[in-house]
Amino acid sequence: MIKLALRQVQLDPLRILLTAFALGSVIAVILVIKGFEEGQYYQLERIVLNRNADLIATQSGVTNFIAVRSSIPQLSRAEVESVDGVINAHPITAVPVIYTKNEVRTPVYVLVYDLKGGPSSIVNGHAIEQGKDIVIDVSLAKKYNIQLGDSFYVTDFEFKVSGFTEEAAFMMPFAFINYDGMLDLFIESEIAPDLSTFPLLSYMLIELEPTANRDWVAQQIEAAVASVDVVTPAQLAGNDVNMGKVFYGPIIGLLVSVAYIIGMLVVGLVMYSDVRSRLRNFAVMKALGFPFAWLVIAVFVQALLLLIVSIPFGVLLASGLAWFIETAAPVYLIRIFEPTIFLQSLLASSGFALIGALIPLRVISRSDPMIVFEST
Amino acid sequence: MFQWAWKSLAKQPGSLTASALGIAFAFILVIFFDAVWQGESEQVVAYPENIKPDVWVMQSGVSNMHMAMSFVWDWKADKIASMPGVKQVTPILYLNNVIVAGDTKMFAFIVGLLPDAQRAGPWSMSAGRQLENPGEVIIPAVLSELTGTGMGDQLRITDKNFTVVGLSSGTYSSANTVLFVPFKDLEDILSSSGTYSYLLVDADDGIDAQTLATQISNEVEKVNALTHDDFIKNDFALASQMGMEIIVMMTVICSVLAALIVAFTAYSLVMRKRQEIAIIKALGVNNSLIFYAAMLQTGLVTLYGFVIAVVFALFVIPYVPLLVPQLTLIVSMDSLLQLGVIALVVAISGALLPTHLVLRLDPATAFQV
Repeated sequence: MIKLALRQVQLDPLRILLTAFALGSVIAVILVIKGFEEGQYYQLERIVLNRNADLIATQSGVTNFIAVRSSIPQLSRAEVESVDGVINAHPITAVPVIYTKNEVRTPVYVLVYDLKGGPSSIVNGHAIEQGKDIVIDVSLAKKYNIQLGDSFYVTDFEFKVSGFTEEAAFMMPFAFINYDGMLDLFIESEIAPDLSTFPLLSYMLIELEPTANRDWVAQQIEAAVASVDVVTPAQLAGNDVNMGKVFYGPIIGLLVSVAYIIGMLVVGLVMYSDVRSRLRNFAVMKALGFPFAWLVIAVFVQALLLLIVSIPFGVLLASGLAWFIETAAPVYLIRIFEPTIFLQSLLASSGFALIGALIPLRVISRSDPMIVFEST
Repeated sequence: MFQWAWKSLAKQPGSLTASALGIAFAFILVIFFDAVWQGESEQVVAYPENIKPDVWVMQSGVSNMHMAMSFVWDWKADKIASMPGVKQVTPILYLNNVIVAGDTKMFAFIVGLLPDAQRAGPWSMSAGRQLENPGEVIIPAVLSELTGTGMGDQLRITDKNFTVVGLSSGTYSSANTVLFVPFKDLEDILSSSGTYSYLLVDADDGIDAQTLATQISNEVEKVNALTHDDFIKNDFALASQMGMEIIVMMTVICSVLAALIVAFTAYSLVMRKRQEIAIIKALGVNNSLIFYAAMLQTGLVTLYGFVIAVVFALFVIPYVPLLVPQLTLIVSMDSLLQLGVIALVVAISGALLPTHLVLRLDPATAFQV
């Protein structure tokens, strides 16, 4: 039976090529959409974990890092550092801004740091050395054609780009400045008179003694400092990922569902055309006494062979698309090879494709062996 | 010849419909991408669009609302209110934050309203009442439906609990869920005092909004004043730029997919009818006529798929949010027209391979057994 299906597939290579392209494109669409979703969750997770803290203190009641306003009283830093087991509580301030240049606007998350919590890597240029330096995500540099040493205005205050990093999350590029820069920004820029409500301390990255018990220290800090909650980086990252799932889940789910239906229809169309063109063959087989179940299995094996041909093409196309999107807009990360998502997508695509193979079965079941004797 | 093209298609209604459905769904995926993007972009400006003051005043350096942070001293509101041509000034506080409703944590935009600032509040209520007391919140009806947080239930913003007293309509989307709380409560959350986020300025009758905006920018230090139209334009531009690259790429790949389906259908048809075509060629029908007939076939298949996609877009997509209330989908005529152009390109590119085969077909094939 496999031999028969294989022969059928080999009969018309151009047709198989077209099918592989079509089915491969569907697989690529699904992989890219799911890879985009997975990339978003990965970025949300990494942006917290990259801060390299043992524990993170947030404003009491704040459970996320992204898309929230956390404001901690500055005096609480000393209180946290006085708890046993704490070496240092490094301050981090998050300032969301809308970067505008040539009427093109981009929301940017500016992270202000002191000694810890800065850019996780510098892909070009150097880290911050003075107050006016800023390190920006490469996506911003690409979008606005910003070079090292160029001016970068944050609410009318001029920074100089000293380096590029690769940190973005929630479709937002990140930028990094130090506290000298933030004070200059607040004092020298237009916003200075109204800065009373700007958060000057958003989070604290807590560094523990190597022997300290993390859970115990977290409890001690929460007991001693009422204005903060203390979580592990993994917990904070998990909260952000869950928030991301609420945000992206319905949209991605809908688009992927439509893509699966297309895959089903493409296979259905291919198999239907194939069965129609070989109806006489099927009729002969029926006349020779082949059971219907055998013919059904033959169709499924053929569909499976088509899938086997299409999957590598789909994966290749998805990789190319992912590369293109990431190159054109580095703020996105398309993680198509994340094992669970990759296997899930391929299995689901295959499942829907095999359902599509059911479409022509009615034609086979109704084929009359007598048509063999009809003139063409 | 054209009659033959039509008849050979019509004789295979199953293949024709399956192909048309394949093409239609590829187009439908394009429409969905665009509808989600359009819907979210439109919903991002739903609040300012419905509140519609003549002039928006915000912190200098800020020029929109979505994902922005703005603070303006309260005395500036008083100064603007006393300017000639100003009918009223309605201040609001505004915060992007994560809220906890039931077991769900989600990103939301929270508007703090002064007791006499109903004009800045929800523009349509599906249940309940306006804010009257501290600790109250008006949430979107869709949010209530999704999270099970109903009237009288609690919802948490940062470390403060609020009681739901009203459900608003038109205030929910994945990217822009708008909640309303009393001004004082939001002030507490922000640890702020004496500041506003935005000032909604209504002009006296006959006063030009652009002139008033310029006057405010000139006379009040360190604020940015924009007409409503400019403000909306900025917000919409920001929203529509986000995710644009993904939409463009997906549109391209879905169009390629549709072209491949068209090519496959036309190719299958040509291969099945190659003897007939060979006979036609042997009878002396010239190549250009056969070429146009093959083009007609791909055009018809694509048109069929396009029509199904448009019918789906107009009559089914508007009801999808009933099943997935998180989504705001907007199908615009512009996007359908764009799709029409894409369909034309798809039909032509899908016809390339089969027409090439038809033109190269040897009339002697007609005599092969």
